[in-house]
Amino acid sequence: MKNNTQQEKDHPSKKIMPETTLKEIKELNTTIKTTSEQIITQTISHLKKINPNRPQEMEYFDELANMFGKRTQELEQYKAEGKKIVGYNCIFAPLELIIAAGAVPVRINSGWYDTSKLGDRVVPVEVCSIIRSTIGAKMIELSPFLELSDVLITVLTCDGMTKLSEILGGYKKVWHLSNPRIKDSDQALKFWNEEIKQIKNNLEKLTGNKITTKTLKPAILKTQKATKAFRRLQNIRKDNAVISGQDALLVTQTFMWDDIERWTEKTNILCDELDRRIQAKEWICPPDTPRVMVTGTPMFWPDNWKLPSLIEEGTPKGILVADELCSSERLLYDPVGIDEWTMTDMLNAIGERYLMACTCPCFTSKDGNEDRINWLLTKIKDHKIQGVIYYVTRGCMLYAMEYTTVKRALDKINIPVYYLDTDYTREDTGQLKTRVEAFLEMLNTQIDL
Amino acid sequence: MTQQQTNEAFWRWQEYQRVMPNKSWTKNDIITAGVDVGSVGSKATVLVNGEIYSWSITRTGSNSSDSAAKALNWALKDTGIQQSDLKYIIGTGYGRVNISFANKALTEIACHAKGANYIWGSQVHTILDVGGQDIKAIRCDDTGRVTSFLMNDKCAAGTGRGMEVFADLLKIPIEKIGEMSLNITEEPPSVSCTCVAFAKTEAMGLLRKGWSKEKVLAAYTKAMAIRMSNLIKRVGLEPALVITGGQSKNIGIVSRVETALEVKCLPIPNWRENGIDPMIAGALGAGIYAKAIYDKTQTTRD
Ligand code: SF4
Ligand code: SF4
Repeated sequence: MKNNTQQEKDHPSKKIMPETTLKEIKELNTTIKTTSEQIITQTISHLKKINPNRPQEMEYFDELANMFGKRTQELEQYKAEGKKIVGYNCIFAPLELIIAAGAVPVRINSGWYDTSKLGDRVVPVEVCSIIRSTIGAKMIELSPFLELSDVLITVLTCDGMTKLSEILGGYKKVWHLSNPRIKDSDQALKFWNEEIKQIKNNLEKLTGNKITTKTLKPAILKTQKATKAFRRLQNIRKDNAVISGQDALLVTQTFMWDDIERWTEKTNILCDELDRRIQAKEWICPPDTPRVMVTGTPMFWPDNWKLPSLIEEGTPKGILVADELCSSERLLYDPVGIDEWTMTDMLNAIGERYLMACTCPCFTSKDGNEDRINWLLTKIKDHKIQGVIYYVTRGCMLYAMEYTTVKRALDKINIPVYYLDTDYTREDTGQLKTRVEAFLEMLNTQIDL
Repeated sequence: MTQQQTNEAFWRWQEYQRVMPNKSWTKNDIITAGVDVGSVGSKATVLVNGEIYSWSITRTGSNSSDSAAKALNWALKDTGIQQSDLKYIIGTGYGRVNISFANKALTEIACHAKGANYIWGSQVHTILDVGGQDIKAIRCDDTGRVTSFLMNDKCAAGTGRGMEVFADLLKIPIEKIGEMSLNITEEPPSVSCTCVAFAKTEAMGLLRKGWSKEKVLAAYTKAMAIRMSNLIKRVGLEPALVITGGQSKNIGIVSRVETALEVKCLPIPNWRENGIDPMIAGALGAGIYAKAIYDKTQTTRD
């Protein structure tokens, strides 16, 4: 963090990307963007088709799902008004501070399959698909959120993220945010709080707005409300299903680029509708449909989205009722807990919320990443989970390696868990289908003889 | 036994059909069928009251539905049973979703476990299925119900298809490969890579170096067997172990898997004379599930 000023001066001289002609960038951008827009439209209309009685209030999120659409125009508008856009690559970035500084946060991780192939020109295929795809997206300037960002908060959680940060640093101003690998020690928390303070200073300098108790408190209240709406949705998913996992995932996913206040309002309206459906007992699937949870590497819209539909549209069908993904439930599960609205307290509370509550496998502790295990066990109980799919995209060492620990813990409570590895590609869909369906057959009591 | 003679290539295994001896059926019996459309072979079984009656093994063509129809028609040949006599048909395997005449689809994982349970009995708890394009290690309970499973990546390495490539390369009939791979004085080190494309190049290099065909085969078979054993170790071996799919008859594979795991597989029933080819385990399991599901629809209707 200390070197940030130095870095800003250096920018943008270093370029790790290969030379790509403007013409090629333009061509690739047009082709991939067109395909992507088609896929987004297709996926949304498919969701409508498979569920004719889909909640009406999903409409808002359907529109938001087009990342090249209205929201992008809105961000452009903000920028024109002089507001700053702050991109982030990982959920450790403190949203409250960004908001308090009057800037707009957007997450920039890429879910595009096609751009991961472009990333292969820069880094080896062994590298995490998300990282490769994000590099590819930068190469052809595909992601409106990444492109519009004035600065990026890059969290150095894993090797991939660390080096991605350097690559993106060739184009954008980056603020490294370094997280300790152990949470439960005083020096870790101290170090982390310093990092958070540094981000605060950087934000103030960038926007020219001082972060005060007056601005920070409403920002915290805003995310607290979002968390509340979000938890409301999760609670609804604890019993007989009134919303598909695919729809719920879309709602949480769009949080990463929407206006937080509006998202909260719309999510609450959706929950109102779902409550009415519970009253009317309008379940979306038979009560004996196997209840599945997904844990593992994050899934990003629009392409890295094959698993939810495989679970819910195969033969037999399952229902996705919970997940432990940093692209979904982990985004908003924990509120910032405040005792007193003083600056020190608020900053400490933010620091704690982002560090202590996080269950990412980049952490370890005396007993392994026990927070994650406990989180999973609670979810399994609360959501009456019958089987867990452990989802790993190629190249993610952290999730791959933590599988054994998770499996052992779930074996103990007799919950079947299945390791599903995949890549940013559509080619393996057939094989994944067989694997997911065989797992669901295992959970399904109907074919018991 | 009807056989179709096609000897134009070494990799071609024989397609064939058989009707179990000393069995009969009447119109009152519950007749069901299972069709397993794999990437390389399509298999069909016909069951009378849940007992195997006839079956066939054919090569999969370019169209899954046609391949399924061909396999089923052949299984019905000379039995007097018409397709309209079949009460319930379950499709399984890689092409299961495209079988237009099937009443239901189940994965080959569920079906192989069920089929193995039928062939070898309730002592089977671990199944290694070596298909044309993938390997599966399956664990099941006493009733043949799957409790866990693992599948390798979609890749021909160490699968039936890989063996076909080798048969062709070395110009050895596929049925002889297993025996020949054991016809060596000392087990060579395994090839370093089972990827078909690379292994082919590596094999040619070894031949040029003066290795005998047998030795090259041994090295490749060993590499495949290690891959398979590792998959079984990962799923957790619980005896008894059986091997299904085309490679179950490859003695070179079976014996090396047994060595690597230090355990004996249950011997294959005498399939050539009067038994059941383990290659049809998936189709057989599908036929058994077809009977069970049909029964269930009847009881719920009453
Ligand atoms: S998996 Fe962990 S490191 Fe990666 S984005 Fe999510 S929270 Fe951050
Ligand atoms: S998915 Fe894994 S490897 Fe990829 S960025 Fe996240 S933690 Fe790093």
